[in-house]
Amino acid sequence: MRTTRWMWVAGILGGLGLLALFSPLGAQTYSPPTYGEDFPLIGSRAAIWIVAQTHLMFAAFVLGVPMFAVVTEAIGIWGKDERYDRLSKEFTRLLLVAYSATALLGGLFLFLLVTLYPALFSYLSEIFKVSMWIYAALFFFESATLYMYYYGWDRWKTGRAKLGHWGLGILLNVWGTAVLFIANAWLTFMMSPPSDVTPDTAPAMVQFWSAFANATWMPINIHRLIANAVFGGSIVAAYAAYRFLKAKSDEERAHYDWMGYVGNLIAIGVFLVLPFAGYWLGREIYEYNQQMGITMMGGFMSWLWIVQAFLIGVLFLAANYYLWIGLGRIPGGERFSRYTKWMLAVLVIGFIVWATPHSMIADRDELAAMGGTHHPFLGVLGLMSAKNTAVNLMILTTFLSFLMYRRANKIPTVSWAKTGTITQGGLLAVCSAVVLFYGVYGYFVPTITRIGFSVYQVLWVLFTILAVIGLDLFIMRRAESRGPIRWGQMPERSQYALFILVVTFTWLMGLMGFARSGIRQHWHVWEVMRDTTEHAATPALGYAAQVISVCVIVFLLMIAFVFWIGGMIAKPQLVPDPEPVPAD
Amino acid sequence: MSSVDLKIIAVVLATIGAFTLVANVIPQVESDVPPDIAFGADVSPEELVEVGEQLYQGAGGCLACHAESPGARGPNIITDYRGQGPIGVRCADRVPGLDCKEYLYQALVRPGDHVVDDYPLIMPPTDRTLTQPQIWAIVAYLQSLGGEVTVTGADIPDEDEAEVETDPALASTDPVELIQVHCLRCHVYEGEGIDIGRPLDDIGAHRSADELRRAILDPPSVVAEGYEDVVGLMPLDFGRQLNAEQLEALVAYLSTRR
Amino acid sequence: MRDHPFWQAILVFIAAWILVRWGIPYVPPLVGISSAPVPTSVELQYMLTVLVGILIWVSDNEVRWKRFKEPIRNVMVQPERKWMRVAFLVAIPLLVAFVTYDTVRPKVTAPVGLRSVHPANPTSITVDGESIILEGLENPFRAEGRGDEAYALGLDIYYQNCMACHGDYLDGQGHYAHGYNPLPLPLRGGGTIAQLTESYVFWRIAKGGAGLPREGQPWNSAMPAWEDFLTVEEMWAVTYFLYEQAGISPRTWEEH
Repeated sequence: MRTTRWMWVAGILGGLGLLALFSPLGAQTYSPPTYGEDFPLIGSRAAIWIVAQTHLMFAAFVLGVPMFAVVTEAIGIWGKDERYDRLSKEFTRLLLVAYSATALLGGLFLFLLVTLYPALFSYLSEIFKVSMWIYAALFFFESATLYMYYYGWDRWKTGRAKLGHWGLGILLNVWGTAVLFIANAWLTFMMSPPSDVTPDTAPAMVQFWSAFANATWMPINIHRLIANAVFGGSIVAAYAAYRFLKAKSDEERAHYDWMGYVGNLIAIGVFLVLPFAGYWLGREIYEYNQQMGITMMGGFMSWLWIVQAFLIGVLFLAANYYLWIGLGRIPGGERFSRYTKWMLAVLVIGFIVWATPHSMIADRDELAAMGGTHHPFLGVLGLMSAKNTAVNLMILTTFLSFLMYRRANKIPTVSWAKTGTITQGGLLAVCSAVVLFYGVYGYFVPTITRIGFSVYQVLWVLFTILAVIGLDLFIMRRAESRGPIRWGQMPERSQYALFILVVTFTWLMGLMGFARSGIRQHWHVWEVMRDTTEHAATPALGYAAQVISVCVIVFLLMIAFVFWIGGMIAKPQLVPDPEPVPAD
Repeated sequence: MSSVDLKIIAVVLATIGAFTLVANVIPQVESDVPPDIAFGADVSPEELVEVGEQLYQGAGGCLACHAESPGARGPNIITDYRGQGPIGVRCADRVPGLDCKEYLYQALVRPGDHVVDDYPLIMPPTDRTLTQPQIWAIVAYLQSLGGEVTVTGADIPDEDEAEVETDPALASTDPVELIQVHCLRCHVYEGEGIDIGRPLDDIGAHRSADELRRAILDPPSVVAEGYEDVVGLMPLDFGRQLNAEQLEALVAYLSTRR
Repeated sequence: MRDHPFWQAILVFIAAWILVRWGIPYVPPLVGISSAPVPTSVELQYMLTVLVGILIWVSDNEVRWKRFKEPIRNVMVQPERKWMRVAFLVAIPLLVAFVTYDTVRPKVTAPVGLRSVHPANPTSITVDGESIILEGLENPFRAEGRGDEAYALGLDIYYQNCMACHGDYLDGQGHYAHGYNPLPLPLRGGGTIAQLTESYVFWRIAKGGAGLPREGQPWNSAMPAWEDFLTVEEMWAVTYFLYEQAGISPRTWEEH
């Protein structure tokens, strides 16, 4: 009975559809324009750029924070530390508001794409339509999971229910990752369409899976996953810094000081892996198309890497600064504080080498004195050998800062503690020597061999970091404490370092987004669909920097609003005191 | 707004401002978009050379590999290659039977056909990024480097014609001719051709007509024993290069080779 | 005072500046490595980095930060330092005003840019209606061993045409030299023609400032295109003369 009714409905609908097809209306051909009208004032490109970038920043936030939340909740469960559980919940609450901001920006982005670039959108949607439906559907699951995760927090608080709750957090990450992977397929297709797709290929003829899993899809997926975790951590740290500066009681200050520390630890710790993912992505780009790779590294984008070097230098300095100030609040930290000036010297010299340009900007007399744009002496610092060496030593130094931080208030009790520490020192010294050796030796071998050296350097650094931290875990087993860390006794200026970190991370994301998108140059879809607007040329860095700054400011304003709203939903429960939570 | 808020705003804006400033003091370069050009029949060699040079150094992307510096990714064609002079001097002698103009055009459109020894095949076919007039302008520029420019307006097809204008052999349905045009670049047949893929002399004894058809249209689906290493080398677009009549003629012919 | 962070910071800053300003250009040559003064843009970059580093050092420890701020604070509040305070209040705005004035005042120097002094030469040039391929090209006088002849001819040509700008001593200090911007290049020393092949110098003589390629811009070199005044032979002769007179030998082509 029911079946027949459905058949009726389907029949009527189908008939209407046929009618529409053959009716005079359907017969009129309407060919959509390739481009919509140029966006007023700033132009279509800047409009879509800003919206896409801010959408992406929010997306990174709502994907990065669940990772953060699940990890901290797990620490809370298995480490039996209530503080982590509360931290996790506090962030999930912010997620609720951030989530709708992401969706709103996503909607805006979609509408701009449809109205400003209709031909591109219809091309992409023809290829990817199924994945677009799935994409939208995933949001239902993701929001449902998020609501259950947050609102079920206090209900499923203990025992097996708590584990189930944690499972919800994992599920939230699964949805988020799926969403990320799908969206990445679209944008990587624009960058690296499969080589058998030519301008003459009708979009319907493009094989879905080859377009979806294209050459740069996986590298971008991994790169973005890692970067999202970094980004989430740094935002958490900045949020904590704000709350710290605004805190009225010592307990509040202690809680947010600690939260800032955890956020920063995750951000910087995960950040150290990011270059590898970037290296893989770069290699895939070279492999996909040599010309695209050269445009990125040696062509007109080469100056972008000087700006990137500057930003990364700022990251290193700010992160270490925060750690060094933090030593002041750890009993026993003063033992290490006299070493910081030497570590700082390494960082500053590293930064100087890292940011020394190969071709220098100089006036006429200076050029004449140098005999060209390459300085006869400093010119050697402009090469990759020197830069890789500098950055590896900076990574080691930052790692050493963390190590000092870890050990500051502990007294090892194992009998071989001294030997262990000397071994650690030896490992670090050997690693630095190896890195330096390859850096210097790189000047005496051909380029091809030299490129291989950077891999050795990185592997050595990674191995050393893992070995030293592994050793440290054993040395510090059952270590005695010199006294608890005095959370909250942190000078205010340290918190501003956290702000510098978050701004730098956000800006860096914008810059790398420009690099990724800009290497397509005048193509919407590389070598398949050309950009024929007046904005086809990839803009110069100065203009790009201004747009990126606008994106960062818009994002920070919006996220500040999100935090403000989040603060209104529920104020209490944040302060880690063992007493029942006071009503606000 | 409290002083803390103001301080935070100041720190954030100062950081953003510093980054923007750094990005603005370095040299500002915008990417080049290849100009859309159309030449009349009476275009002068000088005009062609000028446009070609711009493309060579800019949007064509040639200079990225074919640079003067030692250790460049591609052979140096603009100043001197191993003492033989720039490309204009030696283009006529590169491939027997091809004059300078034809050689250069082929090398640009099908780089794989004439790779210079010792260099890997990394060059993309230029007709994917450039229009026919642009390619011919580059040919003219390359000729001008030590040679005489012989490209004229008559060489340059209209964009639409370029698609149609093909080697007469490509339109043939004679299987032997098809093999010569399409297959010998990678397969040996009757003692001719290059030994990369499986020889075709006895292919009919090992493959049915169905398998052959599949192997041509979707090469990875049929792998010859001993040639697993070269899976993926065979172009995937023979379904577009051949029409149905040609494909069937080729399949029928090959399946009788025993 | 020696171990006071404030004075230490100032000392480190000055030491770093001396190192960048004088150490980098003048110490490496002592051990036989060539060097040159650091361009202002790079010097600024280095000194800013050092400054940030110093600020990090003085403020990463609470005690040191307090001590560092002490002298500044004293100047700002102590009654007996009133004069110092006033002096700073006058000096700092004056300094800012001067820097501002100095940056905006019209100058005769060319704008700072990535101008390359020796841009890449073209493959071939046309002189007197004849195409000349520069790559691998030798000075015909030198190749044929007619050095004395070239020297004699080049000497006359140099003193009649070039000396007024490039100078009697070939040091770029001719009578008219200071009227030009950029200055005529000195032909002596290791920095100019010593690095170049004769065909390059020939190209520069023949085509002059107007013939500089794009990366040599913004060109405002006043060097005339001598092909309009001299014959090909005369230009080769004067090229030969330059190297002889300056006592250097031209860069040769690499063996293939």
